[in-house]
Amino acid sequence: MSTNSQNSLFLIGTSHQVANLNERETIGLPTDSIREFYRGLEDLSGLDECLVLNTCNRTEIYGTFNGAFSIDVVLKYLAQFRELDLSFIKEKTYQRSGSEVVRHLFEVASGIDSQMVGETEILGQLKKAYDEAVERDATGKVLNRLFQKSFQAAKWARTNTGISRGQVNLGNVLCELARRIFGRIDQCRLLVLGAGEVAESALEAFKSRGSEAITVTGRTFDWCPLSRRKPDELAQKFDGFTLAYSKFHESLHLFDVVLASTASANPLLTKTQVEEAMKKRPSKPLFIIDASVPRNVEECASSVDNVFLYNMDDVSAIANENLQSRLSEVDRCRVALAKRAIRLWDQIKAQPSLPS
Amino acid sequence: MSLNDVRDLLWLATASYGASFILGMIKTRHPFSALFRESPFILILAGFFLQTRALYFRGLEVHGCPLGNGLERTQFILWSLIVAFLILRLVWKLNLLGTFCAGVSLILGTLSLGLKNWDRPYWTADGYTRLFKDPWIELHASIAIFSYGLFCLLAVVSIMYLSQRQALLSRRPGFLGPYLPPIQDLETAAFRLLAVGVSFLTLSMVVGAMHWTRHPEFVSGAKLTVTLSLWIGYFVLLIMRISNRLYGSRFAKWTIALFVVALLSLSLVSSKTKSQVFHAVNSSPIVYSSR
Repeated sequence: MSTNSQNSLFLIGTSHQVANLNERETIGLPTDSIREFYRGLEDLSGLDECLVLNTCNRTEIYGTFNGAFSIDVVLKYLAQFRELDLSFIKEKTYQRSGSEVVRHLFEVASGIDSQMVGETEILGQLKKAYDEAVERDATGKVLNRLFQKSFQAAKWARTNTGISRGQVNLGNVLCELARRIFGRIDQCRLLVLGAGEVAESALEAFKSRGSEAITVTGRTFDWCPLSRRKPDELAQKFDGFTLAYSKFHESLHLFDVVLASTASANPLLTKTQVEEAMKKRPSKPLFIIDASVPRNVEECASSVDNVFLYNMDDVSAIANENLQSRLSEVDRCRVALAKRAIRLWDQIKAQPSLPS
Repeated sequence: MSLNDVRDLLWLATASYGASFILGMIKTRHPFSALFRESPFILILAGFFLQTRALYFRGLEVHGCPLGNGLERTQFILWSLIVAFLILRLVWKLNLLGTFCAGVSLILGTLSLGLKNWDRPYWTADGYTRLFKDPWIELHASIAIFSYGLFCLLAVVSIMYLSQRQALLSRRPGFLGPYLPPIQDLETAAFRLLAVGVSFLTLSMVVGAMHWTRHPEFVSGAKLTVTLSLWIGYFVLLIMRISNRLYGSRFAKWTIALFVVALLSLSLVSSKTKSQVFHAVNSSPIVYSSR
């Protein structure tokens, strides 16, 4: 695509700010149709550069055009591609131009426009979208500069403001707590008792941080071989080991992190059992997470020296406090990013044959 | 304010540590721009340079390692603390450890400079030639005080351990918790510092014992009792930690308590000759000479 003509910068997009989940699903592009969508975009006469960002929460089209082009053409194309009413598309999308695009992209890249403020996944998604566009030769001088600067702005925002401070996802909060106790997560030996949703979320978080020694146990192993046998599946899914439920008490001292997530009505881990385990690992801390309701671990077990017991209320409270802390930094971050955006826009404008 | 005056230099060093402590605490919650990010560490380096210069000048004045009064011993311990921190920082980049060390240096440094009778000019006494007549005693004293510096760092690490533990037990994010090192790393560091500190103190005891067997009249009973008690205290602590009979928060509290005892007993670990010099200059006005 050409980048030498006089052109203008624009953005059309939808996100959680203007559309609910159903609407976003309707407008969002299926992963396997991105190439086809690009082909159609590139055929639009007058469009110089384009880039499509398509995530589960956001669909955005960035582009530059020359003289007579109207961004309504892109809206019509999107409506036609997704077989939707143009009025629906217009209602559920936002449009930006010029310096507003720069500011918006900076905010998206740094995570302050995300549903989960300060999340870092969006930056990876942006980089991937940019790589795809570069591979297709869909970007030019303006979008290349804009996106590279947005990656720098995101890094600056994360380093110099508190928008990414603390974890807000439950699995990540648990990993952060484990890091504060043991240091290296990849060397923690994790025992999962049960196979609830929280267990799976926590396992994903530990696994993504390099944890290899994952063991799963559950009551369904022993009393009902024809049951769902979810602990087996969970262990298999995360390349972990399985442990017979009848053995877990005597093996407790071998683990650093114990995550209980069962539907049992009675405590499965008592203070006495924890004390017995700690006698075999006196100077090593034990991190117990009780993600069950009703609770599976006796509350008084937290009084044992070197034992750190958390239940889901504790973890949720930490996640919420961290989120509040991030939100308090958003305005400061937004102001700083706006200044950077204006500077970049002035530089882009100053270049010959670039946006008017 | 002169850069050749010992007390001025020490005040400047303390101010530098203080500034490092304040900036380090602010930086923990409010990230600085790249230009100022290393400012707390640079201030520690500046403080260390000023403190080294001051101790060097004082060493020239007293003709030996400056360990003759409360100010000198405290400043030497703080100097050793910063040396130990700088060595540890090479392998373990922990900005908050530096901030904590700077905080301790601020408090103890201000205390030692504020109490003027801690800095009696014993070297101005009539007939004074040098602080240590026997180089072995000088070696003994400097190694012993260096080991105090290590025990000071051990106490700092223990304070960090207890802060992290408290933050985890409170089940709240807390002010410092997320920025402190992991519990297990702090416990490992504390154990290693204790082992190295006990090794230095033992070496100092061996060197001191060689002098004591030849000249027992120079060593007071109080000095002997305090020194031996401290050595036994730290040695027992090390044995109990190795055998896993003392660990975690109780271990941390003991290391802090022992260091407080060590600090409080500093005035008792002078040899008799120095005490005599102390008495000799007790009535003379305090004069601080600059070079």
